[in-house]
Formats: sequence, C-alpha cells, structure tokens
Amino acid sequence: MLISTILREEKPALVAIPVSIVALAFAPSVVPESIGISLITVLMFAILALSWTMFSGPTGFVSLATAGLFGVGVYVSAILRDFLPIEVLILIGGAVASLLALAIGMLTLRLKGVYFILFTFGVASLIRSSVAWWETNVNGTVGRHVSGASNEVIYLLLLIIFAVALVGGFLLRHSSPGLALQAIGENQEAAEHIGVNITKLKVLTFAASSALMGMTGAVMATRFRYVDPSIAFNPLFSFLPVVMAILGGLSRLYGPLIGVTILVVLQEFLIREYPYVYLLIFGLTLVAVVLWLPGGLVELTQRLYIRLKIQWIKMRMRITRFRRIRQADRR
Amino acid sequence: MMESVIDVVLSGLILGGLYALIAVGLSLQYGVGRVLNVSHGEFIMLAALATFSLYTVAGIHPLLAVAVVAPLLFVIGFALDRTIFNDLRRTSIDQDHFEGRSLLVSFGLLFVIQNVMLSFWGAGLRGYSILNTPVTILGHRYGLNRVIALVVAVTASVAFYLFIRHTRLGKAIRAAAERPDMAEALGVNRRRVLAICFGLGAGLAGLAGALYSMMFDIQASRGIELTVIAIVVVVVGGLGSITGSLIGGFLLGLVIALVNFIEPSLSLVAFYLIFVLVLLIRPSGILGRQIHAD
Amino acid sequence: MTRTKLRPTPILAMVLVLALLLTACVEADSADTTEAAPDTTEAESPATTQAGAPDTTEAMDVPTEIVIGNPIALSGPNNAGASLSQIPSYDLWVEDVNAAGGIYVEEYATSLPVRIERVDDTSDVGTAVQLTQQMLADENIDFIFPPWGTAFNFAIAQDITDAQTPVMGCTVGSRELVENPGQYPYFYALLNQYVDQGAALVELLQDLGVTTVAIIHHDDLFGIDFNDYMVPALEDAGIEIVFQETYPLGTEDLSQTLRGAQDADPDAFLAFSYPDETFLMTGQAIEIGFNPDLFMASVGVAFPPYRDAFGPAAEGIVGTGAWNPNVDTPDAQGFFDRHVEMHGVEPDRWASAACYATGQVLQQAIEAAGTLDPVAVKEAMDTTEFTTILGAFQFENQLNPVYPGQIGQWQNGEFEIVSPTDARTAEPIYPKPAWPEG
Repeated sequence: MLISTILREEKPALVAIPVSIVALAFAPSVVPESIGISLITVLMFAILALSWTMFSGPTGFVSLATAGLFGVGVYVSAILRDFLPIEVLILIGGAVASLLALAIGMLTLRLKGVYFILFTFGVASLIRSSVAWWETNVNGTVGRHVSGASNEVIYLLLLIIFAVALVGGFLLRHSSPGLALQAIGENQEAAEHIGVNITKLKVLTFAASSALMGMTGAVMATRFRYVDPSIAFNPLFSFLPVVMAILGGLSRLYGPLIGVTILVVLQEFLIREYPYVYLLIFGLTLVAVVLWLPGGLVELTQRLYIRLKIQWIKMRMRITRFRRIRQADRR
Repeated sequence: MMESVIDVVLSGLILGGLYALIAVGLSLQYGVGRVLNVSHGEFIMLAALATFSLYTVAGIHPLLAVAVVAPLLFVIGFALDRTIFNDLRRTSIDQDHFEGRSLLVSFGLLFVIQNVMLSFWGAGLRGYSILNTPVTILGHRYGLNRVIALVVAVTASVAFYLFIRHTRLGKAIRAAAERPDMAEALGVNRRRVLAICFGLGAGLAGLAGALYSMMFDIQASRGIELTVIAIVVVVVGGLGSITGSLIGGFLLGLVIALVNFIEPSLSLVAFYLIFVLVLLIRPSGILGRQIHAD
Repeated sequence: MTRTKLRPTPILAMVLVLALLLTACVEADSADTTEAAPDTTEAESPATTQAGAPDTTEAMDVPTEIVIGNPIALSGPNNAGASLSQIPSYDLWVEDVNAAGGIYVEEYATSLPVRIERVDDTSDVGTAVQLTQQMLADENIDFIFPPWGTAFNFAIAQDITDAQTPVMGCTVGSRELVENPGQYPYFYALLNQYVDQGAALVELLQDLGVTTVAIIHHDDLFGIDFNDYMVPALEDAGIEIVFQETYPLGTEDLSQTLRGAQDADPDAFLAFSYPDETFLMTGQAIEIGFNPDLFMASVGVAFPPYRDAFGPAAEGIVGTGAWNPNVDTPDAQGFFDRHVEMHGVEPDRWASAACYATGQVLQQAIEAAGTLDPVAVKEAMDTTEFTTILGAFQFENQLNPVYPGQIGQWQNGEFEIVSPTDARTAEPIYPKPAWPEG
C-alpha cells in the first residue's frame, strides 16, 4: 500500500530526494571553500528543521525542546569524545536524546496548545540549568574542550543524518502512522475514536525526531570545539528551526528546506552587510509570514503554480478557439 | 532561627513583588486577549532604557518618568493589537490556532524591538543606583526600590481587579474576553476593548521597566530573561488571572528565597522545576480557569 | 475564504519598514566610523623583486592593504562586553596606525594601511567558528582578531593553530592558558590571568592586615577558576574564609547571600563575578547596609559605566584589572585621550588596553618579521620585545607576563592601581568609606 501510493503520487519527490542528496555530497568539492564551510551550518539547520517538522508539523504541537535535545547530544560528544569514535558518539547521542524525549513525551500526554509549547520550553531550560549546576558543583568545571574533526568528516556525517531525516520524513508522511499523525493534528479526539493509539504514536514520533537532533548535536560538538551549557543549549536552536520551518511551509517536505536555505543565506548576507539590522529582518519576516502567508513559501509556490497553470490552460483554450474560427473561415 | 524565617519570608515577598510586577502586564495580555506575548520582556527593557535616558539626559527621576514611559508603551501596545493581533483573530480558525500564531508573531516582534533598542542605545552596560536606601522591616533591611516595586505590584493588581469588577469599561473587557459574541451583540466594541487591554499590558510593562531600571543594570539583550520570568509567574499563578499572577509571583518568590537560604546555586534549577511541575500537575495554575486537560 | 482588505495592517507594515529604514540609517552612520577608512598612503610602485625574495612572481602580488578579519559579537549577549572593551580599541588602533602611515613591511619595501573586516558572530559559537574558518581560507585576509570572551577564543584556537595564523586574545582568561601553554602554539593572550590577579589580591589583603574574608562566586569558568586558586592561597597566607557561597548566573536577588556574608562580619568581601552580578551585588550591599572594610568584585568594576552608575558610592570599591591613564607606560594618556575623542567614551580600566596592545604587538611583529607571512610573524611574536601601552614585554609561553596592575580601586573617579607588587598609582583606601547617604 505504502510503496504503490508513493509511486503513484510522489514521482517528483522520488527523483528529487536522491538527486539532492547526491548533489549535496559532491557540493563541497565543487563550490568555493567559503561556501562549503557555510554548508555545514545549512545542513545542521536543515536536519533540525526537518526533524522538528516530523513531529510538530502534522500534529500541530509546537515543540520548543529542540535546544535541550540537541544540547544533550553535544554534551554526550563533549564528555566521551576522547574515549570513543565519533560514529559511536553519534549513536549514543541520538539514543540519549530519544530516551529523554520518551520521558518528556510520556509526561506531556495531557497537555496541548500553549501549555505544551511552554512545557517543552520549560523542560529545555530545566535541562540547561541542571547541566550547568552539575558541571559547576559536581564536576568543578564548566567549559569543555572537544577535539575537532575535519570539516569533511563533519559534513559527511551531517549529510548522512540529513539523508536519514529526509528519507525518514518522506516515508513517514506517506505511511499510515504519518496519516494518523495528521489525523491527530486535525482532531485528536476523533482520531482516538477511530482507533489511533495517540500516546504511542506521539511519543514514538517525538522520540524518533529527537534522536536525529541528538545525533546532530553529537556531530556539532566537534565543530564548536568548546562547549558550555549556554552554548550547547542555546535557545536559538529551539527557535530558529521553527521559524525556518514555518517560513518554508509545513505542508510539504521541502518546505522547511526552503525556509532553512533562505534564512541561512539571509543571515550570511546580513551579518556581513547590515550586521546591525539582521534581528530586525528576521523578526519582520516571521511576522509577515504568519500574517500573510501561513502556509509558508510552499503555499506561495503552490498558488503561483496554480495561477500559472490556469494561465496556460486559458492560453491553450484561446489557441484552440482561434484555430477553430480559422478553420470555419476557410470553409 | 526565627530571624531566618522572617528574613526568608520577607525576602520572598519582596522578590515576589518584583516577579509579579514583571508578570502583571503579560497576565493581562494573555488573560483577556489570549496573546502570549513573548516580546513582553522587550517592552520592559525598552521602558527601562527610555527611563534611563530620561534620567541621564533630562534629569527626570524614574518614578516621574513612569508618567511618560507607561503611556508611550500603551500607545505602542494598542497600535500593535489593533492591527496585527486583531488581524490574527479574524483569520484564525479557533482559539488554539490563534494562540499559536500570536505566539509566533510576538516572537517576531521580540526580534524587532530588540534590534530597535540595540540600534538606538547600543549594547553596552548602563545603570544607576537610585532609591537604594535601606528600609528596615522587622529588624531586617531591604532596598527601598524593591519595596516600592512590591507596593506598586500589589496596588496595580488590586486596582486592576477592582477596575475589572466595578467599572463599565472593566465589565466590557470581561465580556469581550469571556463571551465575545454576546459582547458584540450588546454593543461592546470588542476590537477596541481588546486593543485597550493589550495596550494596558504594555503600559504595565512600562511601569515595570521604569522600576526595574533602578535595581539592575540595563542591557538591550536581557529582555528574554524577563519574559521567561513573566511566563513562569503567569503559569504558576494561573493563565488568565491577574490576581493569580500576584499570588504566583509571591509563591515563586518565597520558594526561591527558601532555596537561596539553603543552596543558592540551585535557585535557577528550582525556578524551572516549579514551572515544569505546575504544567504537569495543575496546568491551570493556582487561580487559573479550568482548561481542557485531556 | 474571501480575503477582505486589511487596511490597518499595511499601515503597520509601512511603519515597521520605516523602523527598519530608520535603524539602517542609524547603523549606516555608526558603521561608517567603524570602517576606518585607511589613509591611502601612496603605495610606492609595485616593488621590484628584492634580493632574497623567494619568488620572482612576487612583483605582481604586492598587496595594497593589510586586512584583518574580526569575527565578533555585534548582536546578542556578548555584544555588551565586545562593544565596551574590544571593538573600540581595535578601531582606535587602526585609525592610529593608518594616521602614522600604516605598517612597514620590508618584503614590499612599503608601508601598508590596515583595514578590519568585521562580521557579526551573533554570539553563537558555531557562527564564530564558521566565520573564522572562512576568513582563514580567504586569501585576501592576512590576520585575525579574535571574538570576545574565553569560550569563543578557545573555540577558534584549534583552527588558527591548524592554519598557522597567530591570534592574540585580549578578553580571555582561564586556568588552561596558564597550566597548559603548549596546547595551542598559535594562540596568545594579552590579558593578565586570574593567577596573577589572585596572587596580587592575596598580597594586598596581607598588606592591609585583613584576617577574615567572605567569598561568593558565580557558576561559570571564571568564578570557579578564581575561587579554586584563592582558597588554598588564602589558607597559606593565614587568612580565614568565614563565608563562602556559589550563586547561579542570571540570579535576580543576592540579598540573602549578602546578608549571610554580612552576618559573618568579615574584614573583606570578595566576589568573583560578571558585570550583571557586580552591579546587582553593589546595589544590594548598599540596600542592606553591608559595608565591609574591603569590598571587591571582579568583572565589571573596572568599567566606567559602573563608576558612573554608582557615583560617590563607588569610592573605595576594589576590582580586578588594571590599567589607568596615569600608568608609566608609553602613550597611556594618549591612548586614553584618543579613545575619548574617537568614541566619546572612556576605555575600560582592564581589557581595553590589552585590546589596543593587540594591534601594537601585531604591528611590531610584522615589522620585525619583515613580511606578512603568518608563520614568520608568529616566530617574531615569540622572540620580539614589544613596546605597548601595557608596558614593555616579551611573551612567555604565549602569555603576557606584564600588566601595569592586577588589582585596582576607584578613588576620586579614577581606577588606581593598588596591588602591592605593582607600581601603585595610589595608596589603597582601607577601610572603605561608608556608603553615602541617599
């Protein structure tokens, strides 16, 4: 059922996904080094935005816990870096993050709307301040140096995680659990009535998306080279992916990716040319999108696409009519 | 031992007064308008910076500057609600949808206001030391500025409570918040009433900012801290209840004072822990309206 | 759903756009001053290859300027410190060096003007690392001035070492630099470290006859390191610690902690703190009437805004530092005056001087090396004796062993150096005067 649906409805995606992954794999050797370095940032946010959307997109439960889950991965890497190879660290980071997410998920079963959002924010803050306390009072130190990894390695690892996120997100959307998630998003009670196991679905999806965040954190620790609680659990890691995903649009898989690309590129541009107004532009963009383009850029492109299609059809009709008139004239 | 208890209680109440003062504006905005305004802290900082400038440039005492700053913020808040949030109300499907969207919009406003502050005042450190004189209560000394903050917080909350209960505009506000359809039918201009409320919330933020400026150093980037405090207080006290945020503020203040007495390094952890626990156990807070908890 | 005309919203949109334009204009004005337009000294015609030049193609590659990349916080929480101590000093140095004709580079037989290319790291470590890597890879950028803060300096230390480009930090302090010098051979620190300040503090306390102290510190690297040094040092000096407490960053109320210190009735109160808490504890100490004979806090005391905020109450407060325009080093007063003239504010009394000295050291190292090649410049850094507004010194283990003062005290509006083993600019005031009334 799943595969035939995909083959029928999503032909463009079936091509686009592998192509984009391959393109990204070769990109660093083709583009100027400076852009290659920025691509790491792009990939990081792309994974965070995609994994956030995996859960919060269809269900409508906006999670602000991303920073907590990402930061946990960062710390796993920071603590164990000298003892284990990076691949293992990634897996551990992902595992710890998803366990944490399971716990959070089990606790938030009854919360919805604003309360859920606030709870996830509170949990992320609690994690941050607890780690800070632990490091200070139990470990007697605060910052941790993390041996770096080469940019090539970091990029490759992120690309793999990105591929998993992309493919996973795609499969999820078109599977029954994915549809069930959307059902939850539209009307949780009704979904329950038709037999959806809400608890299991929400918690597992949340945990899976968090695993990706944790894995990303484990990799990024080697890029940060020095971590402390305010770096690893920076609230911006919670907020920015949300902004990017919403800007891009949640109804399609590529939506968050558009949002990520635009905002990262925008930031790169602004911090160089107009460093003093980059916050302003971010803020205005968010306000504008929520007010006038709630479906994000995806909605915009879809509307444009429809309009173009209509124009095309009209033109064809005119041509057909014109031809008929000419034919009639000749007789 | 008794002395310690008195000290903890008094410190807690005074700290709680500060918390309540910071939160009361947000409580109003959420309580009536259902806007969880995460840029609330930026409003407070804006007011603090403006008060600072008025003092250093024109020599106006912060307590007097309130008369300028609070109305100014009221106007800004009113305008924002009348345009942006009103728009969101009309185009949102239901309450939850609106709350989520307005949260995101206010988040955008956070960035905007912070940038404006950075542009005009720069990021540097600034502050002054005003009304720092000790006030002795039951044998212990506290800062006059903090005691004033406590008094103002209580007065503002009580005044607001009376206002809501007993004046025409107050009743209109309650109607607009609780039964919008009936309110419109009875001739209440809902849009204007909600905008007034949001503006009042901003004005209260202005009041908080002016007082805040006397106690702490002022930096454009610290608004978020204040927003977090406000949100925690409002949740603990009950989303949607003004007096609730007063009580929530006191409760938080007392708990933090107790933690400061036992193990100060844990005060921040305790703060977030209470927040999380309240959301888990009793999301409606102490005095909040019952919410659908399923 | 029909979309009805939204009339107020476009108006609001225009207002917001207006705000955008306004702030952009405000920033364009101030941005102009930070882009220190270099005095274009007429560069001599591209140098013909000199004897000993390794490559005959050099003749085509004579640069017209020296570009220094500076990823630093122009927004976010780190901007407060960066815009107080670091950025103004860097910019002043650029203006000074260009006014004098630039830096003479023997390899090109000409003086070259200097320009800083500054990019906002948004107080995010990932961005700082990314920008640093990009700047290191950029052929047009010759050197790097680091971002603000210990964490950020450490974050880029590996990259600059791999790229063999020397970098000097002026807002970085940590036990690691002292105990582990060989770790990052290309990373230098110009700021004095807490070990020197701690030692000087203990000596000052002994000198004044202090017998009991209360200590509080925050839960961050600086406070922890400082505390770890001081506790055994005080014990060795026979000074008793009668009260000790940790508080978290971001606390709103230190009054209970201060009351605890007050109850212990110490001769001296020491706080290892950051500016926000330094402000807070000073105000609250006044509120509760806690007036020990010696009141010391750390980061923040040496800032002019601190002195301005507390006015006469700042008299006698001790802090870490230290530098002031009266120290006996070349051009100290000149630096102070030019800083005020260019930026309208005074330099701080601790790190500002180190950040200005960064430029001086770089210039002298380039001149000694005779080239812009970073490896050669690094070698010059290790071997040259530098003359700066901090004094004359040579790096020891990539640390600057010379700072005009370690501990200062506000007296009459100036931060006087009072640590006993330094050249005191004034005698310490002890005991501290009472908090002023009102």
